[in-house]
Amino acid sequence: MRKFKFLSLFALLTILITSCSSDDDGQTLVPIESEQITNLFADITGGGMGQPDEGPFTKFDFESGSITTSDTDWDIAFRSTAIIVNGGTTQGTVGEPERNGNAAAYVAEDTFANVTEVDESLFRQDSPTELAIIRASGMGWYTYTGPPPFGTNLILPTPGRVLVFRTRDGKYAKVSIDSYYRDNPPEDQLDALVNEPRYYTFDYVYQPNEGVTTFE
Amino acid sequence: MSLNKNYFCIYFLLFFLSYSQAQETKPVKKDSTDTEKLDEVLITATRTIRQLSTVPLPVQIITRKQIQAINSVRLTDLLNEYTGLITVPDFGGGEGIQLQGLDSQYVLILLDGVPLVGRSAGTLDLNRVTVGNIKQLEIVKGPSSALYGNEALGGVVNIITADPIEGFSGDISHRLSTFNNNDTNLNLSFKEENFGITAFVNRFSSDGYDLNPFNQTQTVEPFKTFTIFSKLTYDFNDDTRLTFSGRYFQNDQDNVGENVSTGEVFRGESKEEDLNGTLLLNHTFNEKWKGQLEFYISNYNTIEFLNDDVGDNFTQSEFDQYFIRPEVRAVYTINKNNEFVLGAGYTKETLDRTNFSISPEFNSPYLYGQYDFNPIKKVNIIAGFRYDSHNVYTDQLSPKLAIQYDITKKLSLKGSLGYGYKAPDFRQLFLDFTNSLVGYTVLGYNVAPQRLQDLADNGFLTAGSIANLPNILSMFNEDLQAESSVGINIGAEFKPTNSIKASINFFRNDVSNLIDVIPVAQRSNGQNVFSYFNRNEVYFQGLELNSSWAVNKNFTISGGYQYLIAKDKEEKQDFEDGRVFGRDQSTGLDFQLDKNDYFGLPGRARHLGNSKLFYKNIKGNFDANLRVQVSGKQGFMDTNGNGYVDNFDDFLPSYAIWDIALNKTFFENYRMSLGVDNLFDFTDPISNPNDNNSITQIPGRMYYARIKVNF
Repeated sequence: MRKFKFLSLFALLTILITSCSSDDDGQTLVPIESEQITNLFADITGGGMGQPDEGPFTKFDFESGSITTSDTDWDIAFRSTAIIVNGGTTQGTVGEPERNGNAAAYVAEDTFANVTEVDESLFRQDSPTELAIIRASGMGWYTYTGPPPFGTNLILPTPGRVLVFRTRDGKYAKVSIDSYYRDNPPEDQLDALVNEPRYYTFDYVYQPNEGVTTFE
Repeated sequence: MSLNKNYFCIYFLLFFLSYSQAQETKPVKKDSTDTEKLDEVLITATRTIRQLSTVPLPVQIITRKQIQAINSVRLTDLLNEYTGLITVPDFGGGEGIQLQGLDSQYVLILLDGVPLVGRSAGTLDLNRVTVGNIKQLEIVKGPSSALYGNEALGGVVNIITADPIEGFSGDISHRLSTFNNNDTNLNLSFKEENFGITAFVNRFSSDGYDLNPFNQTQTVEPFKTFTIFSKLTYDFNDDTRLTFSGRYFQNDQDNVGENVSTGEVFRGESKEEDLNGTLLLNHTFNEKWKGQLEFYISNYNTIEFLNDDVGDNFTQSEFDQYFIRPEVRAVYTINKNNEFVLGAGYTKETLDRTNFSISPEFNSPYLYGQYDFNPIKKVNIIAGFRYDSHNVYTDQLSPKLAIQYDITKKLSLKGSLGYGYKAPDFRQLFLDFTNSLVGYTVLGYNVAPQRLQDLADNGFLTAGSIANLPNILSMFNEDLQAESSVGINIGAEFKPTNSIKASINFFRNDVSNLIDVIPVAQRSNGQNVFSYFNRNEVYFQGLELNSSWAVNKNFTISGGYQYLIAKDKEEKQDFEDGRVFGRDQSTGLDFQLDKNDYFGLPGRARHLGNSKLFYKNIKGNFDANLRVQVSGKQGFMDTNGNGYVDNFDDFLPSYAIWDIALNKTFFENYRMSLGVDNLFDFTDPISNPNDNNSITQIPGRMYYARIKVNF
């Protein structure tokens, strides 16, 4: 016990010293940001029944932690179950924004807390053939429970799937989707005929410090 | 009867008498009083008549006596009461048998040795089969393609009908029960000198029942069915017999559909017809050679339609399958300890079906052989093979080896190893279906490349899928392979006394190339294009126990239990690799699952059990029985979003179904029965509008009364 306290003290000292030296370099580390976004509406205004999906994406900027309509200052964007990044090439659907940043993404298979470090080698960007976050049941962020009458026709976030992003300007964030339905109802009470879809609730951790690849 | 060996005629009298209700004399040489049990013989395991206890395979027999005692109506009612046999409702509406964990599509169903066809969605609906003219049901568990070829991957169920009996006899019966179920049977039999004939008519109708109060359709819509069956035999002499048998089955059922989002209801009808005809010539050449020539033809067709409110046609679908099979067989008996069975045949199948771009045809010549010998007195070995050639899929060689060792008269060991396969069916190769309400497309493997190209050319695919098309098309470069399995069964049979019998059997079946439907491309409407691929490797492993005890002249108790593990090897690996997680609904936090959290394939209970108590009072012409079947909890689908059935999903809880039957015979020929099926009214109803699954579809409590007159 005593030893542990001593070690903790030692660690604390180390951190203090490191912080001090950062100060000396004039590069203050900004604290990481953990937030929850509720009911981000990812509408789809056209398409379906023989037509491609249409309509504007809802864009999100990690730096401000909010939705944005900017054509350039966005990192990720949502339309229905599609999540795109501001990096790579557009798929050319109506309403899809041009990619003008260097954002990228991958899906980590772990608990949200356990994703502590970014693996730069896994990042992919959107392309005409495939989005960086693959839009298919069990392949990306969600599991589709199947069409009626035998499936419950729900989009459920796949547990243990953490979306790791590089932002348009080279910083990092991790995202865990909590729900695809308005007001994040408990999963066992979801009803495809009652609950409104396309309302994302998600947790994210944003590392605002340039070049820092950890979330701790 | 089409599969009779020639010496069936010789054994015929003996055979029938041991099962018939009018059991009088016992012309059996056995020195035991318990003749009934010792004489149980079957034909399915080896294609020769064998005593049940000498067959080195896991086999089961259900006799007419047992069927009559429990007053069953359809084959589906009957099977569930026996260990390891469970019927499972299919999404397509049918109800098929699950054997050692394998689905109905992997179990071959034979009628007097020739296959029943008509599996529009893979399942062969056993509600099509009345038990009214069944003499005996024979079940062989484990891969049996070495004798039976296609579909016998998990096992074989053979429905044996009665042959004509000397003189004139018959019976008529009616059973009325809850849900306005009416089952009427007429059996007639005539035989004089060389000529014999049986005739059987069954009518079965029902108002159906509903387990889902939240929609406008019923779980089972009202229907009425007819079955007509006749068998003619002509003995040219003691060595030659010609048999013709024909069966016609018809089912008319209301067809109701509901558009889930709009609530619009469509009404129509579905009509089903099944025709089977067999011509069989048996000839004994000499003491060593016996031959059989068989010609079988079957047609299964359905027409279904739905009309809208106004009466305009909304959907119509048709299914019309022909199956033709000539086969020649020979049995060569060198001596008591060495016997060969040889067979060769040709199967031709055609199908005309809505949503098929072509009318496909399968042609498959085949050859099989079996050597059955006793190298020493206590050991019996059966070695067999079958070779099936095919015009569409890869040729199949199916070997089998089975050994029985009788340690003592009371204890014997059995072991068998076999190969089974199921060829890709017409649907998996040639379907071209687009759902008009939802908009997804399902393509058979062989038509998929061309159709995907068409969809791309006409702009029906997303830009992404079009760009990816070369990769998608390359997925179809190799032929779709037959699903195949290697199964092993090891067991023991123990008969300490004449009244006690117990058996144990361990089984493991490794299935490869399981065909699964997976999305290959995306339509521009956001829906997927699916096709069929060899994907999964699964295994089924378990243990079966059976025992019975004739306590005294009045009481017999029997019980059985099956333990089953059914897992997908890839899914199991995902758990072992730590790729599968759950989510705590109260905290919203994810947690990793370990391999013990993997429950396995849905629709299968780990524990199945049954127990029966039979009471017989010969003096009072009265018999009664109480039976229970128990099923442990089973998974039905992933409910927690990780795509796997794990211990944190919702389960269908365990249940028990109790049945009771009372039978009394008056004035010898009149038999009156009263009973209750599902005594405690177990059902698995739809509990809320969001719950779309009634997994078991077990109807509620059914009271019934039955009267039967023999003449």
